[in-house]
Amino acid sequence: MNDDAYEGARLDKDDVVLKTTGLEKAFGGLVATDDVSIEVERGTITGMIGPNGAGKSTLFNLISGFYENDAGRVTVNGEDVTDLEPHERARKGLVRTFQTPRRLEGMSVREAMLVGPGPQKGESIFSLFFSGSDVTEEERANIEQTRELLERFEIGHLIDQPSTDLSGGQMKLVELARAFTTNPDILLLDEPVAGVNPTLANDIKRFIRELNEEGQTFLIIEHDMPFIMDLADPIIVLDQGKVLMEGSPDEVRSDDRVIEAYLGGAGP
Amino acid sequence: MSAVTSWVRETLVRDATERRIFAALGLITVLLVVGVLTGVVGLRFLLFQIALVGMYALLSLGLNVQWGYAGLINFSVAAFWGIGAYCAALLTAPNSPLGLGLHPVFGFLAAIVVSAFVAVLIGIPTLRLREDYLAIASLGLAEVIRAIILNERQWTAGSSGISGIPNLMSWLPLTDSATTAAIVVFLIAVVYLFLRRVHRSPWGRVLRTIRSDENLAKALGKNTYRFKMQAFVLGSVIMAVAGAFYAHLNLYIDPSDLVPLTTFYIWIAVILGGTGSNRGAVVGAAVVIAIREGTRFLNDIGFIQTLGVDLAPLRLLFVGGLIILIMRFRQDGLLPPKDELIWPAARDGSGAGGASPSGAASDGGASSNGGDDR
Amino acid sequence: MIPLQISPFQYVANGVVFSSIIVLAAIGLSLVYSIADFANFAHGDLMTVGAFSALFSVGFFRPMLGDAGVFGLPLWFFLALAFGMGAAAVISVVTNRVVYRPVKDSGSIGLLISSIGVALVYRALVFLSFGTEPERYGVPRQGPVPWVRETLGIAVTPRNLVVVALTVVLVTALHLTLTRTTLGRKMRATADNADLARVSGIRTSEVIFAMWLIGGALAAAGGVFLGLEELVRPRMGFDILLIVFAAVILGGIGSVYGAMLGGLVIGMVHELVPLFDQLGVPLVSTPYAEAVAFVIMVVILLVRPSGIAGDSG
Repeated sequence: MNDDAYEGARLDKDDVVLKTTGLEKAFGGLVATDDVSIEVERGTITGMIGPNGAGKSTLFNLISGFYENDAGRVTVNGEDVTDLEPHERARKGLVRTFQTPRRLEGMSVREAMLVGPGPQKGESIFSLFFSGSDVTEEERANIEQTRELLERFEIGHLIDQPSTDLSGGQMKLVELARAFTTNPDILLLDEPVAGVNPTLANDIKRFIRELNEEGQTFLIIEHDMPFIMDLADPIIVLDQGKVLMEGSPDEVRSDDRVIEAYLGGAGP
Repeated sequence: MSAVTSWVRETLVRDATERRIFAALGLITVLLVVGVLTGVVGLRFLLFQIALVGMYALLSLGLNVQWGYAGLINFSVAAFWGIGAYCAALLTAPNSPLGLGLHPVFGFLAAIVVSAFVAVLIGIPTLRLREDYLAIASLGLAEVIRAIILNERQWTAGSSGISGIPNLMSWLPLTDSATTAAIVVFLIAVVYLFLRRVHRSPWGRVLRTIRSDENLAKALGKNTYRFKMQAFVLGSVIMAVAGAFYAHLNLYIDPSDLVPLTTFYIWIAVILGGTGSNRGAVVGAAVVIAIREGTRFLNDIGFIQTLGVDLAPLRLLFVGGLIILIMRFRQDGLLPPKDELIWPAARDGSGAGGASPSGAASDGGASSNGGDDR
Repeated sequence: MIPLQISPFQYVANGVVFSSIIVLAAIGLSLVYSIADFANFAHGDLMTVGAFSALFSVGFFRPMLGDAGVFGLPLWFFLALAFGMGAAAVISVVTNRVVYRPVKDSGSIGLLISSIGVALVYRALVFLSFGTEPERYGVPRQGPVPWVRETLGIAVTPRNLVVVALTVVLVTALHLTLTRTTLGRKMRATADNADLARVSGIRTSEVIFAMWLIGGALAAAGGVFLGLEELVRPRMGFDILLIVFAAVILGGIGSVYGAMLGGLVIGMVHELVPLFDQLGVPLVSTPYAEAVAFVIMVVILLVRPSGIAGDSG
């Protein structure tokens, strides 16, 4: 596809929670991200799709700070976070999940969940000895929040299980819940239903929608077309490291360029 | 009395394997007591061994903070121990090159300050990078520290060593060996309780997350570098305290113990005992001492000579083989950690689950770790 | 200005010789990093094993061949070298089968710790078989090659020249293997991306076998040369392990050519330390040569952890 076909994303939105400007990243000679500028409007579930090798995960890594960008800027709530480390960006409200579920060795689901909220008073050694009651209060509140959230996601019964015992899908639910406890301004979900059975995938979709209705903004990468088409609006399409176009599910579905990108697109 | 039994049940005998281990330890203790009473085992010798085990236990607890809690690979245990020992010796021995003859308290303080400083120095370039860089750098640090101590004779007395280190608290009405043993037990108790508090807490939880998956911790907003540095410094300080204690136990130090083998003894103690478990670290230390003294005993009675070999390489072979076997067959160790890392005060009364995350809180249940069939 | 008794070029010459040893060791270490993906702490002791195996074989090669020589060194030495390389290659492959493969799933950290165990076992076996006294190969002492002394003003012995020449030969052979043979291509593919390689049909077990074989052989060569230049001691490999790691890190983990470059640089610096000592540079004195390598490594970690040839980000 020639360069003119690349229309780019919509950059005129109101109340933008996440914005990237001209992001670039190359590995050796291979350009993975090529002048990508996108905006995510607060309160939306924005989808991101594209054929394999389009650069979606790379973009996520650039936005969240796990890759260093060669050029461009990332802005959260109007604040430039490009020079910040991943954990600092998370503190600014930009929280991401990972494609493969991270099982935490030796930790129960409850423990795994409790790592989410932050910053916690009990994370300072000093407080553990001199502000014990504050730590207790906060921990109690977090334990309660954990219990409620897991109940809400219908996996409350798993709370005592070792997190390594959970199925992939259940783990993804836990990760969604845990990411939510960080109280993020925007949640970046990296393939939240990859390899998950259809029933559980539907549950995940339902919960994402519920959280969104309560005000949570999402940016979601997914390969599962029916899933993302049913859930997200708008949808950004990436191809060969560039933004091809952005539109509603119907617009994307019927766009010739998108179809061509997928059919003639880059192989594995 | 019921409080004690419930503590014992919750801390020491949570499943079949643990029961066996503590039963074995109990048996050995009984045998030792009988041995002392019948005169087979000298009391002073026994007390010295107890103090030595205590010192190893402190070192293991320190390494456990770094490796067990945070997943940091530190191959310079001997170096930090050496720093502690030399701080204590140089400041308190009247005939040391510094000749200050200060009170042991200053030795311990210096040990803490210097080791913390060196730990930060090593941590800065390595803790932001992959774990094996710390492994390599710490190995290098160990050799550099040893070289400095060996070569800067005017400060450290080099290979001659430093003697005349004073005993601790000799004004107590007990024998020196009893006092020293009691002191190390006290130190262990303090360190153990301190570590328990910081481990079963949000801080401990973040470290365990970092150990399993550092990127996840970062994505959740945790400043992993700072947490790792805290664990590293804490562990190093504990190791230095152990070293300072050793100076006052042995009353003489020289650089010959600052060899990598010492470091790997402690590694065995921690991974055999159960990575991440404080109790495991203490038990592992006891096992390592048993190996050391066992082989020395065999050497003294000439058994090893009949095999035509020397003691030192045999120990080396044993330690190396043990590391390989543990990694292959029982990576969890003898007493793997079972505590949920949740602030205990918050857990009580909120209906949250008990100690074991394996779901089967009853004993003998098919525990997923530490069980017989593996 | 203190007149220097020894020409600075002498140190450079020493550096080239020492670098040869480090380069051979660094290549093996780097191969393990790229293909088996862990830090092999047993690599130094593998060099020791190679050196001692060669020493062992001197016992029957020497009486067999007498003093017949080539390039100024006895023939039996070259055979011992080959024997040492072969022995280390075999031991290396067996170790992988017995120790590393069964624990592959515990990740690179589990493998790293296991390799510490292997290092101790190697060293213990050497101690037990050969005792603690340092040994020599028994290559007769030689004076410096006259025409080199006259033309360049530096003293190099035939053994120095042979070490450097053989290193060049071995490195070239490796380069040709990596670039011209199918095996070499498979090795490079696996080093770049093991999963991709496997999916493309490359039998990684074959590649791994070759890697341990080659790495072991080169480590042994480095060990024999080190033993030739200095002494054959049980701690010899472990004592330079840090320097070899520094070389690999400097060159960039994952890059074999980077390791070669790193080995050259670190080797040169190590041998130039006495020069700085002579020039009166403070804190840089001969007993601290290892410390200098250590400091260099720390500086690299601070400034460019990915090394010269590694990739960043």
